[in-house]
Amino acid sequence: MGQQGLQDASLWLKAKGYSAHGLTLHGVLGVSAPVSNYVPDFMPMSIGIGSKAFVTRGIISYDLPKHIYLNSSIAYQMRSKVQADRDGYLAGDRFYNTSEVAVPDAFDAALRVGYLKKDNQLELFAEHFSCVGGDHIRRNDMPFMTNDMTMTSVGVYGKYQPKHLGVNARVAYVVDGRNVGQSLSLSVGLLYLFKL
Amino acid sequence: MRFLYTFLVFVLLASCSKELDLEVDRPYVPSNLDVSAGAWKTFVSSDVSVAAPRLVTDAAYLKEIDSLKKVVIPSLTAAQKTAIQYWGAGAVLRWNEIGRELAARYNQPPAANAAGIYPVPNPADPLADPRFPFANPPYTARALAYLSVAQYDALVAAWKFKYQYNRKAPYEVDASIKPLLPVSTLPAYPSEDAVVAQASYVILLAMFPGEGPFLAGKLAEAKNVRLWAGMNVGSDVAAGTSLGAAVAAQVMSRARADGMSAANNQAIVPGLIANSKALGFVKPWVSQEIPARPPMLPNYGTVKTWNFDRPTMISIRPTMPYLEGSAEFKKDMAELEAINKNQTRAQAAIANYWADGPGSYTPPGHWHRYASKAGVEAKFSEVRMARMLAYVGTALMDAGIACWDTKYYYYSPRPQQFGLKTSVGLPNFPSYTSGHSTFSFAASTVLSSFFPAKASLFNSYAQEASESRVFGLIHFRVDCSMGGKHGKVIGDYAVKRAQADGGQ
Repeated sequence: MGQQGLQDASLWLKAKGYSAHGLTLHGVLGVSAPVSNYVPDFMPMSIGIGSKAFVTRGIISYDLPKHIYLNSSIAYQMRSKVQADRDGYLAGDRFYNTSEVAVPDAFDAALRVGYLKKDNQLELFAEHFSCVGGDHIRRNDMPFMTNDMTMTSVGVYGKYQPKHLGVNARVAYVVDGRNVGQSLSLSVGLLYLFKL
Repeated sequence: MRFLYTFLVFVLLASCSKELDLEVDRPYVPSNLDVSAGAWKTFVSSDVSVAAPRLVTDAAYLKEIDSLKKVVIPSLTAAQKTAIQYWGAGAVLRWNEIGRELAARYNQPPAANAAGIYPVPNPADPLADPRFPFANPPYTARALAYLSVAQYDALVAAWKFKYQYNRKAPYEVDASIKPLLPVSTLPAYPSEDAVVAQASYVILLAMFPGEGPFLAGKLAEAKNVRLWAGMNVGSDVAAGTSLGAAVAAQVMSRARADGMSAANNQAIVPGLIANSKALGFVKPWVSQEIPARPPMLPNYGTVKTWNFDRPTMISIRPTMPYLEGSAEFKKDMAELEAINKNQTRAQAAIANYWADGPGSYTPPGHWHRYASKAGVEAKFSEVRMARMLAYVGTALMDAGIACWDTKYYYYSPRPQQFGLKTSVGLPNFPSYTSGHSTFSFAASTVLSSFFPAKASLFNSYAQEASESRVFGLIHFRVDCSMGGKHGKVIGDYAVKRAQADGGQ
């Protein structure tokens, strides 16, 4: 049985730091938490991993001529333990007699090159995600929240924003990884720009 | 704004703590020493002996005391002190836990090879892929049953010689030895911890032959802590070791001859399917895996039972389930279809809680855990703990055997053969009756007899475990209700046996 419903909600605060000679530094803080009581320990069918997260991100971008930019970011995701439906589970070689599951923290990093004019954008990117520790999926078994997920993906992102209303789309493909599916993901979004 | 930041960071740091709420068992003084346990009736072993110990005034004994005082106890590391507290919670408890953990680690169905064949685990090469054993529920039920029986039989013998020889513990002989664990007046020779450690080691090594180094490490530590804690001298431990080994050898003789080696005999399958069709099943069970996997242990129903004989087992086999097309079948099917369409979060939670699939200690392991916990809460002595687990364990193994006999006698189809999905893993064997229901009611029946005040709690667990298979859509209601009734009858045989062993 697949799952459906609302997954997690997140809130981000972004602040501009240094900016000169086309070089800009940003700092981002974010929090995310599940917004529904979905089943976390039925991976890969679960819609989320169930943990709350606190993300610290640094972004550096450099403007090149003709609306071209380079952008790189790195982030650390602190992730909370999770309440599973079961009251015991195996992680690595140890059996834990508890329903609480420690989800490993994670790093992510990205490199982007793109074209940005007004609010329209086209970008190529490479991203890497890696857990800090964790165990591996056992042969012939299901994934679990304790897994050391690692993946590198490449993709394209585009945004078209003629006025307040806009659209964006993203295609990403996992080229390498462990304890994750080698997936091709497509996402489209509807944007609305507020005037502040 | 700055305040908000600080607040957010603080809240998140606090909620990101990964400290797990683990069950911690601590050393305790038993509520009753069970002084007469040496006369209790054992399951398998008989005629084991332990040589008389040296007197506490003997020079060789005093040398052992001296080494505790001068060498062992003053030089303990923090890790050794942690080990003392860990094992001090109970040898039976800890070895049961180790058995459950090994079951979970080995509960991996073999993966198909490139030719689409599922290779059979090889006990002579246990660490090759696929590893031996595949610790599925019948395998785990049996492994834990032999573990508990060996512990119980060995402890009954240990109690007999403890009170026969009455050798005092080191801290009673020499008051300058300050023991690091709670003390009682239980005689020290032979060491009950060594008895349990050696017996458990032999059984677990036979059941998990690839775990020699891991088990040898546990064995050495379990024995050493008795010296480190000032609870035993070396000769207490040595006597316990040889007694544990002697009892385990007798228990293993039964294990080797109980028919388990033929439990995966796939040659009988065509005959089983023919019987199913003759009984009226239009659509006998078919593996839903790709490629189709041979059914799990089709001949496990012929393994030797503990608390009743084979003719009795056949006589209590559940009657025919509903055939496809009957009104009762349609009713059970309608219930599953309703859940298939709209499984509630609460139903999913119950299905997941009791799923106990691959990578878990299986339902028998789940019940051994609850049994151990109840024994600790009741502050059972080692021998009474082992006795309780032996009856729970043998009832669980009997439940597995009788349920497998039923499953392969009827060879009935799973709901998934009628188009239903599942929210838990689908077991690869026939549907009727439900293993979870049979295991759970057998165990809850025995536990209710040992812990009457908790009877309704254990029965509610069993009921939930049973229904979880309907909520997970892998069993028809009748599989669970009839399996549960069967389990209760099986548990009653264990209770009856317990009432006659002198340990009530």
